[in-house]
Amino acid sequence: MGAHLSEEIRELLASQDTTAVLATVDAQGSPHVVAGVPLRATGEGALLYLEYFESSLTNKNLTRSIWFDGKVAIALSNSQGQSFQITGKPIKNHITGPLFLEYYGQTNEKESLNLAAVWEIEPLAIRNEGVRFRKEQEERTHPFYTHLDRLTAA
Amino acid sequence: MSHTVKHTRKPELSLDEVVAKYPHFPRLIALKIDVQRRGVHYTEKALAAVDYSIHQMRSPYLFGSRDGQIKDLPESLLLRDGTTILTDPTPVEQDPYLVDLVDGKFALVDQGRFVEYTDLWPKPLYYDKKTSSGIPMSHIASARPQRLNVFQSSYCHFWAEDEGCKFCDIVTHTKQQKSELGVPSRLNPGDISETIREALKEPGRFTNICLTSGSVLKGKELFDQEVDFYIETLQAIGENFTTKKFPSQLISSSFNEKQLARLYEQTGLMSYTSDLEVLNEGVFNWVCPGKASKLGYQEWKNRLVRAVDIFGRGNVGTGLVSGSELAQPHGFTSEHDALKATLEEAEYLAERGVTTVFIVWVPRPGSYFHDQQNASLEYYVQLAQGLHDLRVKYNLGVDFDDYRRCGNHPDSDLSRLL
Repeated sequence: MGAHLSEEIRELLASQDTTAVLATVDAQGSPHVVAGVPLRATGEGALLYLEYFESSLTNKNLTRSIWFDGKVAIALSNSQGQSFQITGKPIKNHITGPLFLEYYGQTNEKESLNLAAVWEIEPLAIRNEGVRFRKEQEERTHPFYTHLDRLTAA
Repeated sequence: MSHTVKHTRKPELSLDEVVAKYPHFPRLIALKIDVQRRGVHYTEKALAAVDYSIHQMRSPYLFGSRDGQIKDLPESLLLRDGTTILTDPTPVEQDPYLVDLVDGKFALVDQGRFVEYTDLWPKPLYYDKKTSSGIPMSHIASARPQRLNVFQSSYCHFWAEDEGCKFCDIVTHTKQQKSELGVPSRLNPGDISETIREALKEPGRFTNICLTSGSVLKGKELFDQEVDFYIETLQAIGENFTTKKFPSQLISSSFNEKQLARLYEQTGLMSYTSDLEVLNEGVFNWVCPGKASKLGYQEWKNRLVRAVDIFGRGNVGTGLVSGSELAQPHGFTSEHDALKATLEEAEYLAERGVTTVFIVWVPRPGSYFHDQQNASLEYYVQLAQGLHDLRVKYNLGVDFDDYRRCGNHPDSDLSRLL
């Protein structure tokens, strides 16, 4: 796996308080973003995206990505200000087999949705986009990127 | 039957060369085509890793294989994008892909070079069961990764008049299956209903049911008896559903409007396919003499168009055994001409709501064309792209026969992007 899913990210993925956003790219290069998507982490460090709609644009874009080596982006954030962006690439589409059937059973039971596919996404790069972290980073690495009034006594 | 055919291919572009020449065509689909063209051979190492409790082994099928043998081998393969490959076990001297073990995982290997990891098809739970009449359920309905196949009758009446399609080995294979495995050549609707009921107990396992069989010419009108058999079978299957209609495909002879209306109204059938096999009247007359003499190319085609009025646009299809149009001495002599003619006819049909799909022709020992060769990879890639482009142009869906509901058509694999 390209990038390591830290314990913090795994906890974020498992939390009910987390909003997950998945961005894919269509045939014309336009981004397509869906919020509130179901994502899981595997023991091997991959992400699993549960697709409920076979005809969705996301599903088509993921297919295009796995065929032509395209990338996707995932944003995870919560009300405490934690926020991460994961860049990844789809590496497997489970439409049958034990992993698919496991999640199909869970989806059927809990949400009465018709699971179409389980996409396995390899994380390639992870960026911390939390406000506190980014503020400290920006002040440290780009001291010019500020407004002068912020440097005066109030 | 154990005799095999030795082929020597003309120089042609390799998989890598075709992928480089057609960068907008998915490599995984090109690979699927190439694996179907050339077949597979399982290494001893791969076979030792097969787990009979989780992997689906070959079950009775309507057609035979390139090695002409019935052997206990894995049914087939799945690629990492969810693409199904229906493969033919092929003698190693015919230059097939190898299914080997690489780093402990099943993989496709060519000329000693790793090509792709692959999964074997997972075995459905009902494969371990028998019907109450004592028949293994795998002999009643065979599984694909997401589809159930029911071959209610594996005898084709065109063969009785020595007018079988020249690429087909249905009757040769049926006799072989019956003698070696005891597979019944006619299925009982009660056994079918019971098997479907059992298969549906595994949640998430299937999305479609496909019925097909040999042509039955008998009846007051041509094919009436075939229609009766299908209605009986579909009604038996329908007992298992709470809805009147259920995702299903019938691949049958070419029925008239009265017959089609009966099928549509009296059963849960949702789509209709009748295979023209080759899209050129002259070649059709040679390759499919029974279809030509009993109904004729134009009427076969017209009936497909009329079926759209009953089943709806995008729910009617025709299948091609692609490559057989290039068989000699009466087929096309150039791939360029064959492609042009095929796409022109497919466009005529697409304009009228009929979708065209193809399978990669595998010349089999039990068929008349046993010593012929299929087409080049480049030809199949162009054909798949051409048929897909027609679906885009005419906004024609093919949900009932796509990568998941069927899995045997490289062109409709591309419809995942539609």
